[in-house]
Amino acid sequence: MSEPVVVVGGWASPFVTRVCIALKLKGVEYEFLQEAVGRKSELLLRSNPVHKKMPVLLHGGRPVCESLVILQYVDEVFPGSSILPADPYHRAVHRFWAEYADAKLHTALRTMRGMVGGDKADAAEQVSAALRQLEDALAECSGGKPYFGGDDFGFLDIVVGSYIGWFGAAEKIAGLRVLDEASTPRLAAWAARFCAHEAVRDLMPDADRLVEFGEVLRAALAANASCRP
Amino acid sequence: MEKAAAEKAAPLELLGSWASSYTHRVQLALRLKGLEFEYAEEDLGSKSDALLRHNPVYKKVPVLVLPDGRALAESAVILHYLDDAFPAARQLLPADPFDRAVARFWCHFSDDKLGPAVGAVFASTGEEQEAAVRQVHENLALLEAELREGAFKGRRFFGGDEVGFLDVVLGCGSYWLAVFEEVTGVQLVDAEAFPLFHAWLRDFEAQEEVRETIPSVDRLLDYARGLRQMLLAMAGGAGAAAPADAPTAALPAPATADIAVDI
Repeated sequence: MSEPVVVVGGWASPFVTRVCIALKLKGVEYEFLQEAVGRKSELLLRSNPVHKKMPVLLHGGRPVCESLVILQYVDEVFPGSSILPADPYHRAVHRFWAEYADAKLHTALRTMRGMVGGDKADAAEQVSAALRQLEDALAECSGGKPYFGGDDFGFLDIVVGSYIGWFGAAEKIAGLRVLDEASTPRLAAWAARFCAHEAVRDLMPDADRLVEFGEVLRAALAANASCRP
Repeated sequence: MEKAAAEKAAPLELLGSWASSYTHRVQLALRLKGLEFEYAEEDLGSKSDALLRHNPVYKKVPVLVLPDGRALAESAVILHYLDDAFPAARQLLPADPFDRAVARFWCHFSDDKLGPAVGAVFASTGEEQEAAVRQVHENLALLEAELREGAFKGRRFFGGDEVGFLDVVLGCGSYWLAVFEEVTGVQLVDAEAFPLFHAWLRDFEAQEEVRETIPSVDRLLDYARGLRQMLLAMAGGAGAAAPADAPTAALPAPATADIAVDI
């Protein structure tokens, strides 16, 4: 496939990070269009009219939306190492936990960061509980190997791993631990391993940068709101 | 073939609930694929040990139990699994990766947007309900547009000439629209406003495997009336009318999250 690949998104979004990791893993070259903070581009609005959200993958100009949908599309379209496992049952298990991770982690992390209202301690407990579940899932899926995907990382590693930067940022903002060696030792070790991987290293946002980014985003959104008639 | 013999010896088992549209998705998929299965009806007010053991994370139906005892939960996950595990059987997802992405996108839309909006109509009254109805209409308009001039233009079904993944996902749940209209007195799918969606639903419901799967309208109406009463009572709703023909059949305990009263 020699058609151009474009990712419309932002470096701070875990949903965007996971798409970039997948493309890097497949060795696919792409153009990254960084959205301006607090403002949505015409391209984004046109490419994802239903949700108006990032990421959008444009392949030969055709838009694919929703990060989990994009990951599977990338896996199916581009050759190279498979992102989803080969075995049907394991594929299903990866899909199950990917949906679980997004359902349990995203909003709770945003609450911890103060991006949405809600009790931060409750949110932290929700994240911790989800991570304890994922700790067990990791043991089961990996069968003692380094990743959810086995010897090398796969779909579920990418999905959960895309949140790692945000775990750090949320912990700093809320002053509460969620990912630590004491309660989830396997996951903590896996997280370090994942971030050190050469396909992830340059793409995983730094926790301090994310904390800063959160403040910039809040300010930009407030400014937009005050400008509206 | 050894594999076929093994499949016949220990068929798939489906744990489900008769009124759950998510359960219907899996039943319909199995029937469309010609896969044999055993069905076990779960009492959602008193869940079986098997259900709790096989789906400890959500404790919900449907759950597909495989011949080797391993289990899978979440209807969309199960539907994908059935395609992957039985490649020789009729495939529900389209073959082309972009078409698959489109089908998956609208499946998320159904579960994240349309379903909850329909559920909100059913669980509310007055202004709150009016807002929910507007939401449903906005969502249906998006699907109507895709049928009219977008990804599904010119197709009889979302899957093309035949029922596919997205038909199963949207269809198993869309039958609630007419039921909720009757029970709440609110119009949701107007044939004039959504002619293509309306025509698709009619064609979907006429399919043999669909008729085998979806419960009778009377049973659904009974169930919906009872559920509406319960939901409004829980919300302290003033608009709940006591229906003359209150259902006599025992309803599941008010664990509304388990009752797939959503699309």
